[in-house]
Amino acid sequence: MLRVANSIIQNAIRNPIQCERGLQTTAVNLKVQSGRYKVTQKRDFPLTYEMANPPHYIAHRKSWNSWNTSNLADGLRSAETTIEDIFIRRFMTGTWHSLVCSEVIIKRQHNHIRVAAIIRQGVPARKMYFLIGYCEELLSSWLQCPVTLELQTVADKKDVIFKYI
Amino acid sequence: MFLATKLIEQNARNFAPRLASCHCRKLSTDPHASPEIDNDEEFRVLNLRQVQAQARPKRVIKKDVAAPPRANKMPVDQDWGAVWPGPKTFHPASVPLPLRQGYTEKAAAPPSKYGNAELMKIPNFLHLTPPVIKKQCEALKQFCTPWPKEIPSEEQWNKHFPMEVITTDYCHGLPTIRNPLSRIVTIKFKLSTLKLDKHAHDKFLRLVGERYDPETDVLTIVTDRCPLRKQNYEYAQYLLTALYHESWVTEPWESLKSEADMETYHFIRNKSKVSAEEILNWGKTEGGKKLVAHEAFGKSVENLMNEGENEYNIQAYKTEALKLLGLPSLKSTSP
Repeated sequence: MLRVANSIIQNAIRNPIQCERGLQTTAVNLKVQSGRYKVTQKRDFPLTYEMANPPHYIAHRKSWNSWNTSNLADGLRSAETTIEDIFIRRFMTGTWHSLVCSEVIIKRQHNHIRVAAIIRQGVPARKMYFLIGYCEELLSSWLQCPVTLELQTVADKKDVIFKYI
Repeated sequence: MFLATKLIEQNARNFAPRLASCHCRKLSTDPHASPEIDNDEEFRVLNLRQVQAQARPKRVIKKDVAAPPRANKMPVDQDWGAVWPGPKTFHPASVPLPLRQGYTEKAAAPPSKYGNAELMKIPNFLHLTPPVIKKQCEALKQFCTPWPKEIPSEEQWNKHFPMEVITTDYCHGLPTIRNPLSRIVTIKFKLSTLKLDKHAHDKFLRLVGERYDPETDVLTIVTDRCPLRKQNYEYAQYLLTALYHESWVTEPWESLKSEADMETYHFIRNKSKVSAEEILNWGKTEGGKKLVAHEAFGKSVENLMNEGENEYNIQAYKTEALKLLGLPSLKSTSP
């Protein structure tokens, strides 16, 4: 052990670059950007309620988009749940293309997944019913558990706009 | 120019049928060829100039008009349990309540229930209204059995079932029913329910150590070393059995316990008893009846040594000492 330490010291003396240490003296830029929107000059950028409240308002002004027990302390399957949720979100926004007006809300109760979203009335009701069945069937076969889509529709995208900035 | 061509066209139309008919009569041998040409309206016009085509009517896309929210039509005395039978995400058209949710600045009204994602996020209990719960309880009553008459009170129940077994089941919002923490088994019981003599009691307490709570007389054994709950429960039962039988065994080396090994002070085994009796029997002849220190004095000394010196113990010791020596008790309690 001692011999190893000696060789390291000798090596460091020979090559002084190896034992250099950087010390940062500049101020740390603690800028947080995610989930925040800049005010536009014309003040015409539409924001939903979800977008209008930055992430630090979760549990104060808005609540979580994923409801499960893996994000509690000592929760199980946290990695799997996160990956599945991302997959469900992507599948939903892709399947209901340009129709999803809100975030996709995923609530889990035991092995049951409830997917909720606000959908624009852009396609006929028949197609919507088809897409609901299609999503439920495919997601439940992939995730191996019952999936329920609980959608709400709005006539126009502007119905979910909370404010313009 | 336009007028001129129009006139020429008109003339052509006027002359053409006559010419055609004449021609037909002379040359044509086929009688069926004539009727088409006779119809002067069908005669096609050679239009050399591009005439502006008439604008086609735009195809009107039929848009399905969404039905008005059914909450508007709901009667006041409807059966709400039938409208909202199970747990479901909030839907504004089915809930006839003027709900609003959301934070707004400048004292504006919060966003309404339509197109409000916040209301869809929070879990609701609209399926568990008091009348529905009452109805469900009524339905479940047929599966219930009456409480056994043999154990009416909690005392009886503790007497017949002295041991309490505590396990925990976990419900997840996940597709799993397993939780490693559910294997842990805790058993609790009052030590007074075990039949132990003085030696066994002492040994039992030494074996269990901190698992015994002297204030409540409750012994707690927690087992979590086996992977399954059943195994842990059986291990706890085994531990209890082993502890009980082990505490009844007197090993040969236990008789070697000297005064220094005693965990508490015992008056009978100590010098203080000998000294007290020496004083009592001072000056008495050998053959005479020896006096013995009374038990209350021994108890007060034991309390003083075991519990420590406090006002109450010292006072008790004083009165007992006076009593032992047969002195009159002092009126004033102050030292």
